[in-house]
Amino acid sequence: MKRRWWCLLLFLLVPAGWCKDYPAKGALEGTLTLYSTLDTAVFEPLVVDFQRLYPGVDVHYENLDAMPQYERFVREENEGTHRADMLISTSMDLQVKLVNDGYAARHVSPSAEALPRWARWRDEAFGFTFEPAVMVFNRKAMEGRRIPRTRAELVDQVRHDPRFWQGRIGTYDISRSSVGYLLATQDVRHSSEFGAMVEAFGDVDLQVEENTSTLLERIESGELVAGYNLLGSYARSRRDSERNLLLVYPRDHTVVLARTVVISRNAPNAALAHRFLEYLLSVRGQQVMATECGLPPIRKELDGIYERLGVSESQVGVLRPISLGPGLLVYLDQQKRRQLLDVWRAILEKPPR
Amino acid sequence: MPERVRSLKARLVTTMLLLFLGFTLVMYLAARAYAQRAADLSYDRLLAGSALSIAETLAVDGSAVRVDIPYAALDMLSAAPEDKVFYRVYGPGPGTVTGYADLPLVTAPRMRAGSESELPAPRFFNARYRGDIVRFVVLGRQVSQPGMRGWVWVQVGQTRQAREELAGELVLGAIAPIATLTLLAVTFAWFGVGRALRPLEYLSEDLARRDPSDLRPLSAPVPAEVQPMVSAMNSFMRRLDDNIAGLRAFIGEAAHQIRTPLAALRAQAQLTLDEEDPRQIRKGLLNVERNASRLTRLVNQLLSDAMVMHRAEVRRFEEFDLVDVIKRALRDAVPMSGDAQVGLISSVARAPMRGDPVLLGEALKNLIDNAVRHGTPDPLGLEAEVEVGLEACEDGYELTVSDRGPGIPPADRQRIFERFERGNTHSSGAGLGMAIVSRVVRSHGGTIALEDRPGGGLVVRMRLKGGS
Repeated sequence: MKRRWWCLLLFLLVPAGWCKDYPAKGALEGTLTLYSTLDTAVFEPLVVDFQRLYPGVDVHYENLDAMPQYERFVREENEGTHRADMLISTSMDLQVKLVNDGYAARHVSPSAEALPRWARWRDEAFGFTFEPAVMVFNRKAMEGRRIPRTRAELVDQVRHDPRFWQGRIGTYDISRSSVGYLLATQDVRHSSEFGAMVEAFGDVDLQVEENTSTLLERIESGELVAGYNLLGSYARSRRDSERNLLLVYPRDHTVVLARTVVISRNAPNAALAHRFLEYLLSVRGQQVMATECGLPPIRKELDGIYERLGVSESQVGVLRPISLGPGLLVYLDQQKRRQLLDVWRAILEKPPR
Repeated sequence: MPERVRSLKARLVTTMLLLFLGFTLVMYLAARAYAQRAADLSYDRLLAGSALSIAETLAVDGSAVRVDIPYAALDMLSAAPEDKVFYRVYGPGPGTVTGYADLPLVTAPRMRAGSESELPAPRFFNARYRGDIVRFVVLGRQVSQPGMRGWVWVQVGQTRQAREELAGELVLGAIAPIATLTLLAVTFAWFGVGRALRPLEYLSEDLARRDPSDLRPLSAPVPAEVQPMVSAMNSFMRRLDDNIAGLRAFIGEAAHQIRTPLAALRAQAQLTLDEEDPRQIRKGLLNVERNASRLTRLVNQLLSDAMVMHRAEVRRFEEFDLVDVIKRALRDAVPMSGDAQVGLISSVARAPMRGDPVLLGEALKNLIDNAVRHGTPDPLGLEAEVEVGLEACEDGYELTVSDRGPGIPPADRQRIFERFERGNTHSSGAGLGMAIVSRVVRSHGGTIALEDRPGGGLVVRMRLKGGS
């Protein structure tokens, strides 16, 4: 089969690439091809439930990182080999760029209308999760210390006790992790003390990783004490098993990210893509997502936002959702990106004092 | 039934509707052009602001142009929330510094970068890019560093969705009141016309209620515009009334005319019945026969009058030769007048004209008959010469019938053309002949006059228009 051959090829070409087929349970209606940044295991319940509703749909799921996914999709579109029906990505900026550059199809429905204004753009890009970026601490390691509730408090602690924090604070490597880059740009945008913060972290030998899970493992094991700007959903799903992780929603402001889905304008199976998007945004899909995937839903019908986050309101400060729109294109600018990464590398490569 | 004409109401409302529609269309086009400009103006300011804020960050680092696009530069364009945004910084070399490398270039001739100190004004233009019409702004900044001189251009573009929406709203705002007014005006016109035409309804009700013989003038008050029609109707009814009165008088007169000879006839017949002597009976029968023939002539004249009246109204005219008609009339009329001498003097061999030959023949027969009957003191006398003359004149023919009778005094000459008027009262005939002649001549657009004949007698002179 051609698709399996493609998968094999991809598997060889892109080490991060991972694909899985969910064959149709009934008479075959068509094959839905998804490119997604979500781990196959996390996303699986949604596919399974979708096939419960539409047993005739064969789902082909490809797990790719945000940037390779974007590049591969654009390459395929420009070559005319239209493979993907739908793209799911944490990189809201890349999804916005896809829409802006005319690669996306419109989807108009009441479910889409029910999304908050910031989570949709041009009826072409839709955010379907509600994921705050949090600070994660190792509870044991922080014993006896005051838990920082804001960015300023964290920087303060780092500055006052560099020896404790030396090599023990981690975040995404924004030059490799698209989510990390997106979250960092939001910090640049929202807080004036981003420079000071990165500098303070750099002074204590900031540890960077590409993946959330690696970071979380290192925090759990005690190798790291704190993680900054991590996606809360991953941390929360771990917290249930490990009581050792402490999530802090920065009280100065908490950036909220929504995983974003886009239907390809040249989708080979556009009808199935629209159907799946409709399912994803439906109350049933959101419920499955919340309970089985551990991803916080975005639909207001389900719960209040704080219940969704599993925290009380007093623990959370201002929520600042990242708004889908042309503003996100700024940080994708070649020069802008290079400048930001230059600053980032300069800070990291500074020899420790 | 006359041809149906569309109702006044429908006509008025349709005209108004068309007028207003035309007006609305013109207004729409004007409003659209204006709204388009207004929308462009307001969003262009934003676009220019975005390009300016990018241009502010331009810097030269060695041999490379540096630009640090502010978040606000693109975010401020979210004022048009659904529009795509494209940008590009290029120059002074051929390459793109950053942004979309394949943006369409300004369509207008290359900006003048003439005076060194002056900043060129931002230029706006529409162009197609990636399937959308995009509004672009381009503005330039001059760089003059060692190793790098020239212009750096900042181009920012935005799709037109929000502009079109704003323009649409503006147009709607301008057009909706006009459309509403139009509808109101047409509605008012619809009911207004009904109100204005109410007097006509009263008028028709008045007419419908009337007795057929009631020809009194209409008295219902009507608007000034309808007054001429009512006046015309009243005057028509007056004439109709006169006509009917005339007709009644005529019938009375005709009945009277017929009754007298009929009574005489009966008396003669009764007298004759009492006679024993065959010679007396024969004499009586002769009287009966004479009276009967007079009655016949009277009835014939009445019929002829009716026929002439009808034909004169119908006016079924054709081409014919007047000479033929005269000859035929002479043939028909002369034997009835016994031995009287009737001559025809014609200066033309043929006299083509347009008219009703039957009518003219009837008129001539009457004239000749009259001339023979009235115009000779002694029907068998030598001087009883009746002459029919035909001459061509300027635009037609002059036809004369002359006799040697006693003539008619000038005072009576006009009266003679009325019905039941006779030249002298003791003559036979119903007094219809001259009335018939006059009607025929008038229906042919001619004139008739009575004159004295040199040497005694009467000349009836008629002028008739000639034909082809």
